[in-house]
Amino acid sequence: MNNIVFGKYIPLDTPIHRLDPRAKILAMLVMLVAIFIPAGWTGYVVLALAISFVVKVSKIKFKVIIRAFRPLIFMMCFLLVVNILSVKQGQLLVDIGFVKIYADAIFNTLYIIIRLFLMIMLTTILTMMTKPLDLTLGIEYLLGPFKRIGVPAHEIAMMISIALRFIPTIIEETIRIMNSQKSRGVDFEEGKLKEKITAVVSLVVPLFSVSLQRADELANAMEARGYVPDAQRTRYRRLHYVRRDYILLVGAILILLAMIALALFL
Amino acid sequence: MAIKFEKLSYIYSPDMPYATKAISDIDLEISEGKITAIIGKTGSGKSTLIQHLNALLLPSSGTLTIADFTITSDKKPKGLKALRRKVGLVFQFSEYQLFEETILKDVAFGPKNFGFSEEEAIARAKEALGLVGLDESYYERSPLDISGGQKRRAAIAGILAIDPDIIVLDEPTAGLDPRGTKEMIALFSALNKKLHKTIILVTHDNEIVYESADEVVLLEDGKVVCKQDAHSFFEDRALLKSHAIIEPKIVKLKDLLMDKGLKLDNIYSIQDLAVALGGNHE
Ligand SMILES: Nc1ncnc2c1ncn2[C@@H]1O[C@H](COP(=O)(O)OP(=O)(O)OP(=O)(O)O)[C@@H](O)[C@H]1O
Ligand SMILES: [Mg+2]
Repeated sequence: MNNIVFGKYIPLDTPIHRLDPRAKILAMLVMLVAIFIPAGWTGYVVLALAISFVVKVSKIKFKVIIRAFRPLIFMMCFLLVVNILSVKQGQLLVDIGFVKIYADAIFNTLYIIIRLFLMIMLTTILTMMTKPLDLTLGIEYLLGPFKRIGVPAHEIAMMISIALRFIPTIIEETIRIMNSQKSRGVDFEEGKLKEKITAVVSLVVPLFSVSLQRADELANAMEARGYVPDAQRTRYRRLHYVRRDYILLVGAILILLAMIALALFL
Repeated sequence: MAIKFEKLSYIYSPDMPYATKAISDIDLEISEGKITAIIGKTGSGKSTLIQHLNALLLPSSGTLTIADFTITSDKKPKGLKALRRKVGLVFQFSEYQLFEETILKDVAFGPKNFGFSEEEAIARAKEALGLVGLDESYYERSPLDISGGQKRRAAIAGILAIDPDIIVLDEPTAGLDPRGTKEMIALFSALNKKLHKTIILVTHDNEIVYESADEVVLLEDGKVVCKQDAHSFFEDRALLKSHAIIEPKIVKLKDLLMDKGLKLDNIYSIQDLAVALGGNHE
């Protein structure tokens, strides 16, 4: 439990941290599109190299990023099995009674897993290296043009930033409540079904109660300070693109173009 | 049930760039049957230290021995339940652990988990609630709609109902009114004197330490500065000064009186002081 790192912001001062959040979000979107272009193995090698380069520059240990995958291993295994058994194309490799495994099944599955891996890696890098506040500021700016067609950009950004702000708090709270209940003899790992249910209830009820209380307090605090969601407001911090942001965007777009070229001409 | 820390260190998020060494190289023995106060500034590692007593944190290095339980870094300790039955831990924010529909059920939750029958658990819960000063009118109330101080009492009762040999309390009096604080301290002293429980008390209140503790452990930046008898600790002016510890009022008063030439050795309570000054208290 102490090792939940899934996208938690890591306060460092690296070139990646200093980039404009809008540039990071846009670059990530471009890269996500690039991942979905079927550019074969060469394409994946290019993408993996590019992403590894970013990780290297960010100074975050590779181990830490890999750990973010642990909760997803189960899902990946499930996907693997379903996929391997359902695709029926290409050369027949294994044939034991009703289990038939084809060559294409293996390749397809590998593709999917690599894609998932790269996608999660990208989003994890984004959230690990961007302050939650910057992230929401970026989202608000990017949604700005859609205000005219009725998208509540500010409210969405505020909601996201509150949610992001409270994730670590809730994790901390969860650990604390689990520890208190362990001291009272609850075993969260083993036990019969009935004991398991009690264990979960003993965690979830206080967690909800604390979270609701927190939400209430936060709402009061915001109102007490005169917060009105749709008020006209100016900003203390304004975002400006500088050269490194353009470099990032151009880099991402070049990679996307390279993927398209690979997909078309190979 | 001797408690012994040997070269124990704990690091939070060891693989991260922001890894923090919360406590380091703790060598400490806590005496059986006494009240030991752990004091130190905010962030000095008190809560981190005591969570090891229930193996909720496992040391990054070093060992902790509690009677025949040994807790080290490298393995999943066995017999955790037995350990937690022996060492009861009341958390710093213990009011957030309540969850049952009624206070009585909530307090009975611990004993039930440790294998007591329903009736026995309820009987223990009633006894524990009596000890912390929550009378029958509270039994059927929801633990979620009582005041903060009452929640804290209920949480303390939840541990007392398990009847552990060692009771560890992290800031048990924070958020209680002065009277409630007094009652709680009297309760801990009684548990110690009458039932011979070993009590470990984390607190920022030096008045409480002076009044109730036998021994004091001072932590600073995750290290043990000293461990000594509570009374002699507060007599050591140089030590107090160098660690910016505010002396209890009675010590201050004694200082003032002794400056005026009075002889006041071996006087540790208001009552004794009153007698020494010529009053006839009881
Ligand atoms: N979950 C955590 N993750 C990372 N660091 C932590 C965590 N909990 C505590 N720390 C750090 O460990 C150090 C010791 O904290 P601890 O909670 O043990 O202090 P404390 O003496 O109990 O303080 P207080 O009197 O405020 O309760 C602090 O520097 C704190 O920042
Ligand atoms: Mg603490």
